[in-house]
Amino acid sequence: MTNRKSSDNGVKPPDRKMLSRTLLLMTVCGVAAFLVLIGRLFYLQIIMHDELESSAIEQQLRETALKGNRGTIYDRNMNVLAISADSETIYLSPAEIAMYGEDIELIADGLSEILVIDREKILSLAGDRASWYKTLARKVDAETVDKVREFKNLYNLNGIKIEPDTKRYYPYGSLAAHVIGYTGYENVGLSGMELSLDKNLSGVEGRIVRVKNAYGTDMLYTKFEDYIAGQEGMDAVLTIDSSIQYYVEKHLKQAVEDYDIQNGAAAIAMDVNSGEILAMASLGNFDLNDYQNVGDEAQQIIDEAPKEERSTLLSSFQQKMWRNKALSDTYEPGSTFKIITLAMALEEDAVKTSEHFYCGGSISVVGDGAGRGRKCWKTTGHGDQTLTQCMQHSCNVALIRIGQRVGAEKFYEYIDSFGFFDTTGIELGGEAKGLWWSEKVFCDSENLTQLAAASFGQTFTITPLQLIRAVSACVNGGYLVQPHLVDRIVDKEGNVVAESANEPVRQVISEETSNEIRSILEQVVCDTKEGTGKNAYVAGYRIGGKTGTSTKTVLEAGGVKEYIVSFIGFAPADKPEICILVLLDNPSSATGQYISGGNMAAPTVGKMFADILPYMGIMPVYTEEEKALMDRSVPHLEGYTIEEAKKRLYESGLDYCIIGEKDSVVETLPEAGTMVAPGSRIMLYTESSNDIEESYVPDLVGMSYTQARDVLEARGLYISSLSPRPANSNTMVISHQEVQFGSIVPRGICIKVELIDKDESIYGIY
Amino acid sequence: MEYSDRQIINFSNADRTARGRVDSPFTILTLLLLLIGVMMVLSASFARAYYDPDKEATYYFIRQSFFALSGCAIMYIVSRIPLDLYKRYSMPVFALSLLLLVLVLVAGTAANGAKRWFSIGGITFQPSEIAKIAVIIFEARIICAYKGKMHSFRYGVIPFVLVAVSVVGLLVLEPHLSASIIILGVTAAMMYMGGTSMKWFLILGAAAALALGLMAFGMDYSSDRISAWMDPFADSSDTGYQIVQSLYSIGSGGLSGLGLGQSRQKNLYLPEEHNDFIFAVVCEELGFIGAAAILCLFAMLIIRGFWLALHCKDRYHCLVCGGISSLLAFQVILNVAVVTNLIPCTGISLPFFSYGGTALWLQLGEMGIILSASRTIPEKVVRYRNTNSNFQYVRE
Repeated sequence: MTNRKSSDNGVKPPDRKMLSRTLLLMTVCGVAAFLVLIGRLFYLQIIMHDELESSAIEQQLRETALKGNRGTIYDRNMNVLAISADSETIYLSPAEIAMYGEDIELIADGLSEILVIDREKILSLAGDRASWYKTLARKVDAETVDKVREFKNLYNLNGIKIEPDTKRYYPYGSLAAHVIGYTGYENVGLSGMELSLDKNLSGVEGRIVRVKNAYGTDMLYTKFEDYIAGQEGMDAVLTIDSSIQYYVEKHLKQAVEDYDIQNGAAAIAMDVNSGEILAMASLGNFDLNDYQNVGDEAQQIIDEAPKEERSTLLSSFQQKMWRNKALSDTYEPGSTFKIITLAMALEEDAVKTSEHFYCGGSISVVGDGAGRGRKCWKTTGHGDQTLTQCMQHSCNVALIRIGQRVGAEKFYEYIDSFGFFDTTGIELGGEAKGLWWSEKVFCDSENLTQLAAASFGQTFTITPLQLIRAVSACVNGGYLVQPHLVDRIVDKEGNVVAESANEPVRQVISEETSNEIRSILEQVVCDTKEGTGKNAYVAGYRIGGKTGTSTKTVLEAGGVKEYIVSFIGFAPADKPEICILVLLDNPSSATGQYISGGNMAAPTVGKMFADILPYMGIMPVYTEEEKALMDRSVPHLEGYTIEEAKKRLYESGLDYCIIGEKDSVVETLPEAGTMVAPGSRIMLYTESSNDIEESYVPDLVGMSYTQARDVLEARGLYISSLSPRPANSNTMVISHQEVQFGSIVPRGICIKVELIDKDESIYGIY
Repeated sequence: MEYSDRQIINFSNADRTARGRVDSPFTILTLLLLLIGVMMVLSASFARAYYDPDKEATYYFIRQSFFALSGCAIMYIVSRIPLDLYKRYSMPVFALSLLLLVLVLVAGTAANGAKRWFSIGGITFQPSEIAKIAVIIFEARIICAYKGKMHSFRYGVIPFVLVAVSVVGLLVLEPHLSASIIILGVTAAMMYMGGTSMKWFLILGAAAALALGLMAFGMDYSSDRISAWMDPFADSSDTGYQIVQSLYSIGSGGLSGLGLGQSRQKNLYLPEEHNDFIFAVVCEELGFIGAAAILCLFAMLIIRGFWLALHCKDRYHCLVCGGISSLLAFQVILNVAVVTNLIPCTGISLPFFSYGGTALWLQLGEMGIILSASRTIPEKVVRYRNTNSNFQYVRE
C-alpha cells in the first residue's frame, strides 16, 4: 500500500526506459512491420500480377457456346435426307431450387409425369444443391416443352430451366442408312456422311464470353462481353438418288427374303462415267431416327440371353447392322472378275475376239501337282467356244488360258492400274483393303497357280466398291473413275464451297477394248440360250453384265461351304450410264433353289434395271419378238358391237369368248386396262350378269408361262408377268405366284407371276 | 486506497481544468481512414447484399455509416473523459470484462462453431473487444503501481501473466484464437513499455512459441490452416479457397487497380469480402498504389499514437496511449498479413474498414482515449532537446 501510495501521488512522467522502449515499439509497429506488408503487396500485386490475374479471370469468365445449325444433307435431286429441327433441353438448377426455397417434391411430381422420368431420379438430381445444371431430358419435342413451361409458370418455379437444342431428323428413315449415317450426343456425326462431313455440317461453334459471379450469372455492373463469331453448318448435296436408292433397296430386300440370305446383302449403283454413287445399300439396315434399335427379332434373342451377355450381344448385333458391306467387307469376287481378265487380255492383244478356246473340263497349270488339273465348273467341259461363249459360259479353263497369255507380270500390273491395291478413297470411313499375293509370289515362274486362280477371281479378296470401279472402267471407254458420294458442299447463302470433280483418274484400257468388252458382256445377258446372265435381261433394254458365285469356307462353322452370289450389270450396253453390283452373302440352301449368281443375283439386278432405267429417262426399244411376248392391256370394249370388239381384241393379240345373246358388249372380264398375257381369252358379256363365281388358284410354280395361262383360263382366271425379262425361252418357268396356291378368288382375277430361267446347264458355281 | 484515488482525481481536476485541444493530425488521420473504410464497405458489400433476397444492396453501407457517425460522437465524448477516471476504475472495468467473457459462454450467440457474440436488440457485440481495452487500462494501472519493481519476476511478470491467462483462458473456451493472440501481444507490449526485464521476455517468448506450435500442429482444425497457408493452391476449392480468392483479388489489382467499385472478386468469389477480407477488395480496386497509401495512413496514425504516448506528461497516459497504438498496430498488421497469406488464416478484422458496428464504436472509443490523453499534452510547438543524452521537455 505504501508503495502504491507513493507511486500514485502526483504526476509521474514516463521514465527514460519507458520512453526508449515505447520509441522502439513505435519503430517496430509503425515502420518495420509496414515495410514488410508493403513489400508483400509489391510482390503480390506487381510481380505476381499477371499470374494471379489470369487465374482470377479464368474463374470469372463464362463461355456460352453458340451452336450453328447443323447443315442439311440432300440427295442429288435436293430431297432432304437429314435435317436438324429445333427441340429443347430441360434441366434443373438445384442451387436455385434451394435459393428460392422451391418444393422439390412438387417439381418431382410434376416433371416425372410430363417427361415420363423416374420420380426418384429427379429427387436425387434436385438434391445436389451445389449444382446449377442437371440435365433432365434432351431433345424434347415442342408439345412436351409447352407442358413443362406451363407447369413452371403455374408454380413460378425458377429451378426448372428450358434451353434450346436441336434434333436430327431423317425423313426417309432407313433409306441409305449406311451412307447418310447418324449423329449422337450433341449432334456429333458418328457414322456415314454425318461423320465424314461432320466438320462441314456442324460448322464452327461461336462463343459469347461474359464475366460471371460465383453463382454463374452475369457479374454486376461489369460490362464485358466478347463475341466470337461461329459459322453456320454447311449443306451437303450427295450423289445419291433417293429414288434409285429406293428401287435398289426394294429389290435387294426382296432378294434377301426370296433366297433367305443369311449374312446380309449389298448393292451399289454407280454412274459409270463420273463415279457418282447413285445408290449404296447394305442389308439388314436400320432406322436412322432410332439407330440403336436392332429390331424385334434380335432384341428378342438379347432378352432371352443371360443378363451378363446382353450388352455384348446387343453391341455385336449393332456392329453387324451398322456395318456397310458395300465397302467394309472384302470377298472373293469369283466370276465377275473375269471381266478384268478379259479386259487386260484384249488390251494386250493376247487374245482376239475371233479366237476359239477349247474346254475339256480341266487344265493343268505349272505348279500344280502331277495329275491334279484345274477343273472347270462344268466338269464335262464346254467344248469348242468362241471368246464370247467363254464369257457366256463363264468357262474357267478358257479364262485360265487367257490369263496365262497375259502373263503374271502384266496381270499384276493391270491389277494395280485397275485400282485393286488401293482403297477407292470414297468419302465414307471404314473402307476395307483387300488381300493380294505379293508380286514375288504371284509372278513366280515355277508356280503359276496363283495366276490361274486369279484369272477367274479366286484366292484374293476385294471390296464390292473396288470391283464396280474396275468394271466401270472396262465398259465406259477405259477410264478409271473416282467413286464419290458428295456432289457439292453449299453454305447457307447457297455458295458452292466445294465440288467433286467427275473427271476420271486415269485411262486403263482403250476405247476399242472397252467396246469389245461391252458387246461380249451384252451377249452374256441377252443370249437366251447360252448367257449365264440372261435372268438379268429386261425387255426393251440393252444390258450387259456378268454373274459370279464364290465359295467361302467358314472355319467357325466347321468348314461348311458358304456362297456369295453376285451379279454386276451395266446399261445401256452400247453407251453405259449406270452400273449395278448386287452381292448376296450366303443364300440358304433351305429354299431349295439352285444357288448361283445367275439364278439369284442376276434377276435381282434385272428388276432394279427395269425400275431404274425408265426413271432415268432411258426409253425401252422392243424388238418384234419381244412385242409379241409382252403382256398387253385389255382394251375398252363396252358399248362396242361384237364384231368391233372381236376386231379390237385381234389387233391386241387377245382371244375372246362371248357370253350372252345380245349384239353389243356391256362388260368384259377382266375389265379394261388389266394387263394380261398374250393370247388370253377375254370374256365379252352382252348381258350384265350378277353372278359372282369363284375359283380355286392352282399351283403354278414350275410351269411355263403359256402353260400356266391355259391352266388358269380353264378356271376363268388370267395371268400376267412381273419379270422384266420376256418369257421367250422354253426353260423359263414360274418361280413365284402372287396369289397363293389354294386361295379362292372371284373369276376374272389376274394372277401375277415371276419367271426364272431354269436351264441348269448354264449355272456354274463360278 | 480509496483515499489515494480521490487524491488523484482532485489533483487531476485541479491540474487540468484548462484541458487543451485534441491532437489534429491524429484526429484527421482517424477520420480519413474511417471515411475510406466506410466507402470500401459500400463497394465491397454491394454484390453480397444485392444477391441477398432479404437485403437492399446498400444494407451494409447504411448500417456502417450509422455506426461510423455515432462512433464519431462516442470518440468525441470519450476524448472529453480524463484518463484518470479509467485509472481509478480499471480494476472494476477489467472485472466486468471478465464477467462478460464468462457470460458470453453461457448466453452468447453461436456462429461458425464459436460463442463470441452477444446479440441485444439486433445489435451484436463481442465482449473480447471490451476485454482488449480493459486489459490495456488495467495493465497500465498495474505498471504504474509497481513501477520500479517491474524488473522482478514477481511484479514484472506474474500480475501480467495472471491478467492475460484469465482473459485468454476464457477466450480459448469460446474459442477465439485471434483475440487471444491480440491480448497476448498487447500484454507483451505493455510489459515491455512498463519495464519488464528482457530475460523474462526471452523465457516467455520461448514458452509462447512452444505453446503456439503445439496448438498449431496438435489440432486438426489448425493444421488445416497451416497446410492452407503453406500452399493454398494445393486445395484451392476447399481449405485454401478463401486465401486463394484473396490472393486472386490482390493480384488482380496490379499497380493502379481496377478502379473504385470495380472489384470482380467481390462478386461472391471472395468470402468475408466486406469483413475480414475487405483489404483484398481494397487491393483489387485501388491497386498497389492505393493499398500502400492506405497502409501508410495506418502507419502514420500508429506512429502519431506512439508519438503522443511519448509526449504524455503522465506515465499512465503514456502507457495507455502506447497500449492502444500497439493494439491498433497489431490488428492492422495481422489482418493484412492474413489477407496476403503471410501468416495462417485467422479471423482478424481491419480497424475502420471491416464491417461491424460495435467493433467500430470501440475502435473509435479507443481513439477517443488517445485524443483525451492528447488534450493534456501542452499545445503549440512541442519539441525535445537532447542534452547529455537526457530527454527534456520544454514548453515554448
